[in-house]
Amino acid sequence: MARSLAAGGGLGTRRMNAIKRALIYIIVTFLAAVILVPFFWMLSTALQEKGDIFAWPPQWIPDPPQWRNFAEAWTAMPFNRYLGNTIFVVVLGITAELASATIVAYGFARFRFPGSDLIFLILLATMMLPFHVTLIPTFLIWQHFGLVGEFDPLVLRAWTAWGPFYIFLLRQFFLTIPRELDDAAEIDGANTLQTFFLIMLPQIRPALLAVAIFAFRGYWNDFLGPLIYLTDMKLYTMNVGMYFFMGGVNEAPQWNYLMAMSIIIALPVVLLFFVAQRYFIEGITFTGLKD
Amino acid sequence: MENHLATLFRWLLVPVALAVIAFLIYHLFRWFGWKKKQAMGLALVSPWIVGFLIFTLYPLGDSLYLSFTKSSIFGKTEWVGLDNYIKLFTLDIEFWPSVRITLLYALFSLPIGVIGALLIAMLLNNQIKGIGTFRTIYFLPAVLPEVAVALLWRWMFNSESGILNYILSPFFKLFGMGKPNWFGDPDFILPAFIIMSVWGIFGTNTVVFLAGLQGVPRSLYEAAEIDGASGFRKFLHITVPQISPVILLQIVMGMIGALQIFTIAMFVRPSTAAGKFMNQLVYERGFTQMHMGEASAIAWVLFLIILVLTLLVFRSSPAWVHYESDMKR
Repeated sequence: MARSLAAGGGLGTRRMNAIKRALIYIIVTFLAAVILVPFFWMLSTALQEKGDIFAWPPQWIPDPPQWRNFAEAWTAMPFNRYLGNTIFVVVLGITAELASATIVAYGFARFRFPGSDLIFLILLATMMLPFHVTLIPTFLIWQHFGLVGEFDPLVLRAWTAWGPFYIFLLRQFFLTIPRELDDAAEIDGANTLQTFFLIMLPQIRPALLAVAIFAFRGYWNDFLGPLIYLTDMKLYTMNVGMYFFMGGVNEAPQWNYLMAMSIIIALPVVLLFFVAQRYFIEGITFTGLKD
Repeated sequence: MENHLATLFRWLLVPVALAVIAFLIYHLFRWFGWKKKQAMGLALVSPWIVGFLIFTLYPLGDSLYLSFTKSSIFGKTEWVGLDNYIKLFTLDIEFWPSVRITLLYALFSLPIGVIGALLIAMLLNNQIKGIGTFRTIYFLPAVLPEVAVALLWRWMFNSESGILNYILSPFFKLFGMGKPNWFGDPDFILPAFIIMSVWGIFGTNTVVFLAGLQGVPRSLYEAAEIDGASGFRKFLHITVPQISPVILLQIVMGMIGALQIFTIAMFVRPSTAAGKFMNQLVYERGFTQMHMGEASAIAWVLFLIILVLTLLVFRSSPAWVHYESDMKR
């Protein structure tokens, strides 16, 4: 406000600014509505009686709201078990991912050795590699070890820091820590491990949280991995369960149940987003910009 | 529960093995005469190198090899030379439609995604009251799982009682057409996917652009204002050059993402009359029909398409991407 007054001054510009401001409000509100209407529609369908779903014109407010749709959809398949499996995969995946990505990122940020720049360049290039091109040989590797049908293909690999994006993000954070800090620690007689755990880790807490959030989203949303590796119905994750819950090609989907389940699947990620929005956005910003 | 425990056990062994490898690498390179810090650095990044060799480099070569063979998951592999590629290019009735729809989808959704996200970010960059709440709402689509997004849109596009046909029905009446069967009619599948991709302009891209916009020095705009530059000229001559590195990043990542569309298509389950997306074809050939060789060939075609397009974008970048450091030089 102060800036616009200083720059414009006259009454004309001030009125222009008021009009501009109003216009921005109208556009911003309209687009927010465009985003929120599908969400509302999702909830509305989830609460409808089977017979009302195909009403024309569509019913916006379900009357009465069928809250039991959620319970019925949840028990239509062993989703309790699927949720347990998903949590298992998510926890193991995030833990391994965080630990390994942090160590590797520390290596790239603080140590130089012959070929380190080239290796880092290759790491960045792997971000552009389409996942499907390595899919089949990777499947054959796991088959060779007899681990297709187990959770292993989904979680063991996380130990090798296979999210180049996470390494990149953490490395950028490490680089912001002044070198004097490690030098001081070294002079005080700390070894590499002590410097890493006592000096560096506490400094990059926001980045660790950002990676944890991204990894959570990644594992929670993963569909292709569980689809090809989990052959036993008892080991399905939520997303694979959903795929079969959706029904065959010729079956008419039960939209109220599917929307109820979609809400349930979306809820953890959305809640996490609300709680940790700052880290989430900080993470995206950091990798999107700095060199 | 048995499977869980067995996996947990093997999961615990992996870091031990990786630590041993790191330890050996450290001493091996010390023995070669590397300095302590150098060997330590290599040891620290060694888990990634191991993963890269096993899960990226080897599979990349192996899939290229497989693309020249006839192989199934269980059977033997047999070298057939260029047969898979020749068959794809000449005989396969699913291949070209698949390439076509995948490229067209990227062609339309990419500019919409990049330009749309930039405009949204500019909108959110205004300091107005309540902008924080609006930002939260605008980022929501980015966090929604693809599975939920796909199902939601499939339902909204439902021809019988989807909300989209309801909202658009006055227009349809105006042009004297019936309710389109979006994902069922080959003519409407691509438009439906493109409309769906508009949803993607809210979210991650917007956050990155917003950060880019906030990094543009105020002083540049103030100098332009003194010279009497209009809003549009400021956008063209200050904003765009200043954030051009971000635009480049968005184009490259957006293109790669669009060409790899998979999960959404699997859940939306469009009529296959207009062709399947290339990644769907890879999945089907490889994992439901067990033709690993053919699937690898399709995957390599997609990989080469992505590689060529990415290189083209990078080649063009010196002409329009502006780096601050260039000016200092």
